[in-house]
Amino acid sequence: MSGMLKLSVQNLLRHRTRSFLTMLGIAAAVGVLFSVFSFNRGFDQGLARELQATGLHFMVVPVGCAHEVAALVLHGTVVPKYLDATVIDDVRSTDGVEFATPILVAQLPNPDRHRIDLIYGVEMEVLREIKPDWQITGEIPTAPHEMLMGYDVAEHAGLTLGDEFRYPAVDETFVVTGIIGRTNSQDDAFVYLDIATAQRLMDNPDGATAIGVKVASPERMGSIISELEEAVPGIQTVTMSQVMNSVANVAASAKSLSLAIALVALVIGAVGVMNSILMAVFERSQEIGMMRAIGASRWNIFQIILKETTILTMVGGAAGIALATVGARLIENYVRRIMPYVPGGDMLSFDPLLALACVGFALVVGVGAGLYPAWKASRINPIEAIKGS
Amino acid sequence: MIKLKNVEKKYRRGAEEVRALRGIDLEIQAGEFASVIGPSGAGKTTLLHILGCLDLPSSGELHFDGLRVDRMRESELVTLRRNKIGFIFQQFYLIPGLSVVDNIALPLLFSKNKPAPGRIEELARQVGLSDRLHHVPAQLSGGEMQRTAIARALVNDPEVILADEPTGNLDSANSEKIFDILHKLHQNGLTVIMITHNPELAGRAGRTISIKDGIIEQ
Repeated sequence: MSGMLKLSVQNLLRHRTRSFLTMLGIAAAVGVLFSVFSFNRGFDQGLARELQATGLHFMVVPVGCAHEVAALVLHGTVVPKYLDATVIDDVRSTDGVEFATPILVAQLPNPDRHRIDLIYGVEMEVLREIKPDWQITGEIPTAPHEMLMGYDVAEHAGLTLGDEFRYPAVDETFVVTGIIGRTNSQDDAFVYLDIATAQRLMDNPDGATAIGVKVASPERMGSIISELEEAVPGIQTVTMSQVMNSVANVAASAKSLSLAIALVALVIGAVGVMNSILMAVFERSQEIGMMRAIGASRWNIFQIILKETTILTMVGGAAGIALATVGARLIENYVRRIMPYVPGGDMLSFDPLLALACVGFALVVGVGAGLYPAWKASRINPIEAIKGS
Repeated sequence: MIKLKNVEKKYRRGAEEVRALRGIDLEIQAGEFASVIGPSGAGKTTLLHILGCLDLPSSGELHFDGLRVDRMRESELVTLRRNKIGFIFQQFYLIPGLSVVDNIALPLLFSKNKPAPGRIEELARQVGLSDRLHHVPAQLSGGEMQRTAIARALVNDPEVILADEPTGNLDSANSEKIFDILHKLHQNGLTVIMITHNPELAGRAGRTISIKDGIIEQ
């Protein structure tokens, strides 16, 4: 260790508790900053991945709010509007549509477990096309009284393959033929039934909340949508990129807020650094006076103090990254609980470049906070400092 | 070696202007051992700071080795202090977390000079601290701390040692040891200027400078 670095480390070790608490402030701020950036990045990537994984190009829904549609696509909101029964035929007959599948999202009371189950009615024969990434244990239902369960629903209900399950509200019993592997998305919370069964249970024989559409040539999607909207009144189409933008817009304010909080935390941490170092400078003014007397220039003093801030910020920043990485699972679980929608997959995967950028940013802020104490120390009058004894 | 011509030093203490030195004429020859005595507030420390180029006169001339110090820039003063002057203080001012070796080597951090191999240990031996090299100040007695400070003052091979009441915080046995070290340094050719309140020690220096109310009395 170089002499000046050793001197700076020793100065920090003189007040271990103070240095530790200051470092903790920086660690907390950098940890939050890193988590927020990681989460935002993971959110965007996860959202894009999830939408790509639907295997659909756009959705046809009743005219309404774009955010409602986004919620429908991503986590199956129960929308109290249905498409006319004829719409599915119109869509299917549109030139360029490879396939179109109706989707019915509904709620079904489950009094035995004091909850309401979310039912996702879908044509089972196209399930593999619209959810190509699902890992299914067992079989996709092929008969009216068979059901496919999301991971969480099956786990909470304690159901395994072959178990029977009864909904007293409709007085029907179903056999669990398949359970979807954990997706860490809203898909885990649904019970999947064949669309015809779902329509019968909801007493809505031709009802569909939405129609998922896959086109043969994605580059023709624009003209297909225009043609469809002209031909069929009372519908709107929402492409996956529009859904993504819609969700991104909703999430943007939460992301901005969390980023602002992280930046405020960093500023508070930097003020803590400034306060701590400034106190140390005042306490050591005689010592600084002595150093000036024995040959230290103002620049030497400036360097010593700035090194102390750099050490505090770097160690604090590295500790913050380590804490955020170790606690990533806890943070992610917490965020998933409080946010209405979070895409599947790991939101807080470790990115070394991002970690370096966060520590670098904290370093810039921390060193900025150290400039004033360092300047103050370099201006200490050695005569007055020594006389102060 | 050091020459003061009609040096005045004034500073403000609140609304009051203090004339710490009043027209001082003084010449210190190379190799002298001079003690500075006088009552509290007489201007001893101010004189020592001016002799050590740590402070500049309000008026008058200050020469060091023929150079006009009172006209020097801050950076030149730093270089002069770094290379030619060693300071010893009554309160020692050792860095608490650093060992004896590191405290002695402290001025080298600023001069960027690399000590000759064994130089620090040799200085520690000269002041009787060979067995305390890796002790930190909290593990040393007052006398040992002051001897560390003396070794620190010597590390850049200065031409003059300025000691501000170096025995002021020590018992008589330790005071005697410190004086003996300073005396030996003088015998080896170093210029030593020492402020003291101890008339007996002052009398044993080659020259006594008595100061009162900012004026040298003899």
